[in-house]
Amino acid sequence: MKVCLTQRLTKVAVALTAVGLAGFLAPAAQADTVRVTVAYYSDQTEPYFKQMAAAFEKANPGDAIQIEMVNWDTLQQKLQTDIAGGSNADLAIIGTRWLLDFVKDDMAEPLDGYMNPAFKNRFIGAFLAPGQISGKTYGLPIAASARALYYNKTTLTKAGFPEGPKTWDDVVAASRKIKAAGGYGFGLQGKEIETDIYWYYSLWTNGGDVVGKNGKSAFASPAGIKAATLYKSMIDQGLTQPGVTNYSREDVQNLFKQGRVSMVISAPFLAKQIKKEAPTLKYGIAPVPMGTSRATYAVTDSMVMFKNSKVKATAWKFLDYLFTKGPRVAFTSNEGFLPTTKEEAAAPQFADADTKAFVNLLPSARFAPTVTGWEDTAKAVSDAMQSVYLGKAKPADALKAASLIADKALGQ
Amino acid sequence: MSIDRRKLRRSLVCWAALAPLVVIVLFPFAVMFFTAVKPADEVFVYPARWLPSTFRWANFSDMWVATRFGVALENSLIVSLGSMLLAIAVSVPAAYALARFPFRGKGAYRQFLLVTQMLSPILLVIGLFRMAAMIHWHGSNMVDKHISVIVAYAAFNVAFAVWMLSSYFATIPRDLEESAWLEGCGRARAIVKVFLPLAVPAMVVTAIFTFINGWNEFAVVYTLIRSDANKTLTVQITDLVAGRYTVEWHQVMAATLLATLPVSVLFAWLQRYLVKGLALGAVK
Amino acid sequence: MTRIARRPLTPWLLIVPSFALALFVIGYPLYNIVFQSVHEVSRFGLIRGFCGLDNFRKVFADPIFMASLWRTLWWTLGVVGGTVLVAVPVALILNQDFYGRGVARVIVMLPWSVSLTMTAIVWRWAFNDEYGMVNVTLQRMGLIAAPVHWLATSTLAFPVEILVGILVSVPFTVTIFLGGLSSVPVDIYEAARIDGASGWQQFRKLTLPLLRPFINMAIVLNVIYVFNSFPIIWVMTQGGPSNGTHILVTYLYEQGFRLGKPGEAAAVSLVMLVMLFAITALYLRIQPREGGEA
Repeated sequence: MKVCLTQRLTKVAVALTAVGLAGFLAPAAQADTVRVTVAYYSDQTEPYFKQMAAAFEKANPGDAIQIEMVNWDTLQQKLQTDIAGGSNADLAIIGTRWLLDFVKDDMAEPLDGYMNPAFKNRFIGAFLAPGQISGKTYGLPIAASARALYYNKTTLTKAGFPEGPKTWDDVVAASRKIKAAGGYGFGLQGKEIETDIYWYYSLWTNGGDVVGKNGKSAFASPAGIKAATLYKSMIDQGLTQPGVTNYSREDVQNLFKQGRVSMVISAPFLAKQIKKEAPTLKYGIAPVPMGTSRATYAVTDSMVMFKNSKVKATAWKFLDYLFTKGPRVAFTSNEGFLPTTKEEAAAPQFADADTKAFVNLLPSARFAPTVTGWEDTAKAVSDAMQSVYLGKAKPADALKAASLIADKALGQ
Repeated sequence: MSIDRRKLRRSLVCWAALAPLVVIVLFPFAVMFFTAVKPADEVFVYPARWLPSTFRWANFSDMWVATRFGVALENSLIVSLGSMLLAIAVSVPAAYALARFPFRGKGAYRQFLLVTQMLSPILLVIGLFRMAAMIHWHGSNMVDKHISVIVAYAAFNVAFAVWMLSSYFATIPRDLEESAWLEGCGRARAIVKVFLPLAVPAMVVTAIFTFINGWNEFAVVYTLIRSDANKTLTVQITDLVAGRYTVEWHQVMAATLLATLPVSVLFAWLQRYLVKGLALGAVK
Repeated sequence: MTRIARRPLTPWLLIVPSFALALFVIGYPLYNIVFQSVHEVSRFGLIRGFCGLDNFRKVFADPIFMASLWRTLWWTLGVVGGTVLVAVPVALILNQDFYGRGVARVIVMLPWSVSLTMTAIVWRWAFNDEYGMVNVTLQRMGLIAAPVHWLATSTLAFPVEILVGILVSVPFTVTIFLGGLSSVPVDIYEAARIDGASGWQQFRKLTLPLLRPFINMAIVLNVIYVFNSFPIIWVMTQGGPSNGTHILVTYLYEQGFRLGKPGEAAAVSLVMLVMLFAITALYLRIQPREGGEA
């Protein structure tokens, strides 16, 4: 990228000089290069952004957009390296959970000054909120997703649940029948990122919460113990796939695509994968099973502007362009995400049953709270759940230990 | 005739002894190979099978295009060869000094070299990036340039190269050079005519070590190289796997296999230099 | 030897290029790590303030750190020990003259031709419960009845990771030993054989002492590389489950790049440096003094 930058800047410099020399009275063209760090979602991500860049460059001659794509695994590391080296981009996609640190470090440019009420109104409120801290908007929701239960229509119908299970009791009952028929019932994730979230589905729907209103951890409650015991008993009864702690989300999804596991909680993009990789699989989408209440997890990724950007006006123009109807619809439908702007939501691409199923869950969706120490909490809970799944610790003890760690981290 | 039979018996014994290791070594390569030639939808078939239904050789050409293999290959070659030459160039004199001269700083120098190996690359690379970003070069900075990676690799390899070369140089008897010197050669000429030819096997082995280290290295390239046009094979291939929602395993395996070919060819060539008594056989 | 005394500068001049290169590349990053370890550093690498030894205190108070520290010692011992135990006999065999020796040598060196990260990825895949080829092959051969969950528990996963570590270290070590063996003069074996020494005696009294400098080099370098070896454990288990396979370097990575604590990661890095320094200094000190080298 730097090589292109040098060449581009040289070209730009020459052009500017020519313009300047040609006529002092003629208004000099403002020719900026905006660098954007984007995260990889699929094969479509890079072509999409390059297309958007090309379209923008055409509409704004002289301006250039440079896209650098990074895998999520190493995005944080790359950003850290870039920022430490003072060579970060102008715009970047980040996990919204990092936004708080961004703002604390004074790296993020508040966007309210650029947004007029009409712009703000483009967004679906629930998705804009996570990008706002202390009333100021720092991140725009570029990607949003929620989670629902995918179930294998064939095996679930045989088990007596043609519309999918509604409650955790249904899940257990269905899994028993599926186990008798030789398959695995409920796919349980026990490894890598979002192991904690996978347990929160049970926690939230049984009335529990991760962080309480007082800002301290709240998952070591009776609801939490009930939720953990539920999963552990399912593992012990063979209602899940064996070797849970060796299964990341991808691994469980693979089992589902192979038809070996009949239920898995996942995001909208799984539907696209199934259509491509296992087209004969009949699947259905149901809300996350209920305990005492309905809940699901929703998450956004945000695009932020760096405060140390030298081309903020042009960067904003590009942001504005990305969040108009055309680009948004293309991005969201390519990647299988949920619409974050109202115009998108009304578009025909999102009128299919699968997307509608997810959108309907939004009212009961919970976002990860933007608090310091969220990732430490996530790790503590993941570690605790792994101990529970392995039978190394009792739910009550494991959760208590985790809550001590979480409180220390959240308190800062 | 009897010599052949002895050698044959020895061969059988040796291969039998090596068999477990050979099987374990070849196992992952077999996995890579069979996955690389499977059609995409057979990779995760259940029950899992070793053999594909058809050998889809087209995976290799698909992969070549999709992963910009040719460009990455070229970058890997440039970076590995460059660091190899630089490392050898600075290490040979140092190794000679360690092997031939007793001098006061010897121990400290060795310790210093060892310490350069002890820092985990994970955090080291952040500092390297900062340094590269600060150094001005041709109008921009040293980030995303081959030369930065070459210099970094050479520096990381110096410790091993110096140690390996000096150990080997120490086994070359001094009297050879000294008798040449006595016969009227200048010191420098004695080194070039007598010492260097004997040192060649060690230099070749060390050079190949540094080449391989450069070929397979990941952290430094990942941090310093940003544009696709400059990425090496290790980064390009790992990018196909790390943190992706869907991984095209057949392509990944195909790419990994191809990436091992240049090094394997080098091995085949290198091992000739590891024959017993090669160095001193020459003396006789 | 007076010739050498006449030019005291020569050795220094000869080591300057390598010294300067190494210093230049390592110097600033080392300074950076030390600097960050005594400052409070934000997730994205910005310095928030001087905090003395706080980072070190926090790190030492973390039970996961202490567990990782011990495990790192076991990891290093296991991999290096295993590697040397395998590499010495293999090198001796590969030093013999037999049919197909060239092929055998290439095969033994193959693991080295793959980058460590890709090796870890392929093995992780091979050890997958359901479609990994290890389970598939073992089941086909009738050695196991049901799939073994290799990476699901740390009791199984850690030994597996050690075995992978040994496998990838063997080529490097074997090559060093072969290099050493090739420098052993052939004639001394002739003399020994004439004197009636057995194969084992030849090995103990002739080969081993001449090989010793190379064995030392292999051990010290392997200890350093293995101590810092990140990809195998991180790719296969991320230090889990439940922190059961964390070693210092994976712990460091998690602190620095997942939990957003670069200052503490830097502190861990320095602790590792000190440990390695102590271990290698100790090892080299207990070696019998050699004339000559290494």
